[in-house]
Amino acid sequence: MVIRFLPLELMQGESGQVLLKGLLATLELTALAWLLAFAVGIVLAVIRTSGLKGTDTVVGAYVAYHRNVPLLVQILFWYFGIATLLPMVVQKWLNVHGGGFFAGAIAVGLCMAAYVGEDLRSGIRAVSKGQLEAARAIGLTFVQSMRFVVVPQALRNVIPALVNETLLLFKNTSLLMAIGVGELTYASRQIETQTFRTFEIFAITTVCYLVISIFIMLGGRALERHYKVAGR
Amino acid sequence: MLDILHDYWLLLLIGQYPNGPLGGLAMTLILAVAGILLAFPCGIAIALATTSPYAALRTLANGLVYLVRGLPLLMFIFWAYFAIPALLGENAPGVLTMLIALVIYESVYLAEVVRAGIEALPGGQTEAARSLGLTNMQTKRLIILPQALYNMLPSLLSQFISTIKETSLGYVISVNELTFAASQVNSILLTQPFQVYLLLAIIYFLLCFLLTAAVRWLEKRVEQGRRERKVKS
Amino acid sequence: MIVFTGVEKRYGDYRALIEINAAVGRGEVVIVCGPSGSGKSTLIRTVNRLEEIESGTITVDGVDTHSSELDINRIRSGIGFVFQQFNLFPHLNALQNVALGLLKVKRMHRGEAQERAQALLSRVGLGHKAGAFPGELSGGQQQRVAIARALAQNPPVMLFDEPTSALDPEMVGEVLAVMRELAAEGMTMMCVTHEMGFAR
Repeated sequence: MVIRFLPLELMQGESGQVLLKGLLATLELTALAWLLAFAVGIVLAVIRTSGLKGTDTVVGAYVAYHRNVPLLVQILFWYFGIATLLPMVVQKWLNVHGGGFFAGAIAVGLCMAAYVGEDLRSGIRAVSKGQLEAARAIGLTFVQSMRFVVVPQALRNVIPALVNETLLLFKNTSLLMAIGVGELTYASRQIETQTFRTFEIFAITTVCYLVISIFIMLGGRALERHYKVAGR
Repeated sequence: MLDILHDYWLLLLIGQYPNGPLGGLAMTLILAVAGILLAFPCGIAIALATTSPYAALRTLANGLVYLVRGLPLLMFIFWAYFAIPALLGENAPGVLTMLIALVIYESVYLAEVVRAGIEALPGGQTEAARSLGLTNMQTKRLIILPQALYNMLPSLLSQFISTIKETSLGYVISVNELTFAASQVNSILLTQPFQVYLLLAIIYFLLCFLLTAAVRWLEKRVEQGRRERKVKS
Repeated sequence: MIVFTGVEKRYGDYRALIEINAAVGRGEVVIVCGPSGSGKSTLIRTVNRLEEIESGTITVDGVDTHSSELDINRIRSGIGFVFQQFNLFPHLNALQNVALGLLKVKRMHRGEAQERAQALLSRVGLGHKAGAFPGELSGGQQQRVAIARALAQNPPVMLFDEPTSALDPEMVGEVLAVMRELAAEGMTMMCVTHEMGFAR
C-alpha cells in the first residue's frame, strides 16, 4: 500500500475551495451556536438562581433533556421533526436558504446552553451570598445585582469550564454533516469521494481541527490570566 | 406515537435480527458496554503513561490526549472507517469500525477519570508503600489502583452514559444501532418524522436519565463507604 | 428615625425576635449589644429588609420598610449598611465599589459619580487607594471603603452589623475612628458590636 502525500497539490484548485468553504462554515456555525448557547445559558442560570416558583423544575427539565439525549438525535429531531411542523411557506424558504445551517446552529446552541447554564449556576453558587446582599443593600434590583456583581464574578470562576464547553461546541459542529450542512467534515468527505485521496484529505482536515482546538485552549488560558482578580 | 412503538418496537429493539445483523437498542448497548470495557484498561495505561518517569512515554501519551481532545469523534470514526479496511486488507464490518473509534476516544476520557481518582488519594499512601520497598509499578498496582477504582465508580458510570450517547454517531456510517433503526422506521413511514424522532429522543432520555439517577445513588454509597472506612481506621 | 413596633421574627418554630418595641431618634447613636445568638444581627438586618419579619412594623424616616407596596430598592438606597464581612465587590476597584450605587441606582453621570466617590474615599482616609482592588487592601482599609460605599447615596441612617468583628486588633481603631467622626457629624446610627470601648 503506497501512501501518496501531496497535500499542497491537492489544495490548489477545486478541492481547496471546497475545503476552505467548509472551514469557514464550521467557524460560522461555532460562532452562532456559541452566542446562542451563552445567551440562553446565562438566562437559564439566572432564572434558576432567582428561586422563583417553578423555575427549578422548568430549567431542570430543559437541562435534563439536553444532557440525556444525544446531540445527533437532537439535531435530527430539529431538522426532520420540528422543522416539518413549520408552515409550508417557511419550510420552502428555509430549504432555499440553507435551512440545515440555521437549524443546526440552533440545535447545537440550545444543547450547549444547558451545559453552559449548569456551569454558570455552580459558578454563581460559588459567589458568596454576602455579595448579593451587599448589592441589594445599596439599592440595586435583583437583575442589576446579578448583572453587575454576581455574574461577573461567577464568570471568572468558571472560565476553565466554559473554555471546555466552547471546545466541545466547536467539535460538535461536525455532527451537522448528518443533515447535509457543508461544514469541514462534510467537505472533507465530499472531496474524498471525488478524488479518493483519503489519507491526505483527512490529514489536512485533522490538522485544521487541531489548530483551531489548540487556539481555543490557549485563548482560554490567556483569558484566565487576564481576568485574575487583582491581589488574589 | 404509541402505535409506532407498537408496530416497530422489535425493529427498534434488536434491528433486523434474525433476518439480518443484530441492531437497534441492543446494538447500542452492546457497543457501549464493549466500548467502555475495552477502553478502561487502555485508559489506565494512558493515565499511567502520562505520569510515567519516562519522558518518551509521557510525550506519546500526552500527544494522544491532545489529539483526542482536539478532534471530533466523527473524524475518528471516519479515520477508522478508511484505515481499518486498508490495514486489514479486507472489508471491515461497521460495528468493528465504530467500536475501535469509541475505544480510542473513550480511553482518553477514562484516563482523565483514572488520573483524578488516583490524585484524590492522600499522598501518604504512595509514601508508605515506597517506604516498605515496593517499586513504582507495585505501588500503583497493589495500593493505589484498587483504592482509586472504588472512588472512580460514579465517574466511570457517567462515562458509560456518555458512551451510550456517542454510539448514536454510528448512524452516519450506517451502523445499525438505535438511531439508525429509528431512521429506518422513518423511511418506512415517511409521513410521521416528528413522532418517530420524538420517540427516539424519549427512549434515549429514559435510558440515560435512569442511569444518571443510578450514578447519583452510587456517589452517595461511595461517599458513605469512604466515611465508614475512615471511622474504622 | 427608626421605629420598631411589635416586631416578631421566627425561623420555623424558633422565635428569634419577640415583641420588639424601640426607637432610634434622629442624630442618635444606638449600640446593640448582647450575647451571641441573642438576635442582634437579625434585628438590624430587618431594618433594610435583608431579613423578613412575621409581624409588627419597622419604619425608617416614616416609611414602613416591610410594606409590600413600595420599591424596596429606593428604600435601601436611603439606608447605609455596613457588613461584618465587608462584602466589597472584588472585581471592582475601590472607586468603582463606591460609585456603583450612584451610577446604577441614582443614575448619575459617570464623571459626577466618580468625583463624589473620590471625595468619599478621601473622607475615610483612602483617597490615594481609589484604584486599588479589594484583594490589595487590608481588612481595615476594606471596611473603610465599605463605609464610604454605604455613605455614597447620602442616606440619613447608617446601620453597622458587627463592623469590626472580622478585623485584626490593629485595624479596629481606624474603622472606629471613622465611625466616631460620622457620629460627631450628627449621623443617625444603629450599631451591633462587641467593642465595649466604642460603646462607651
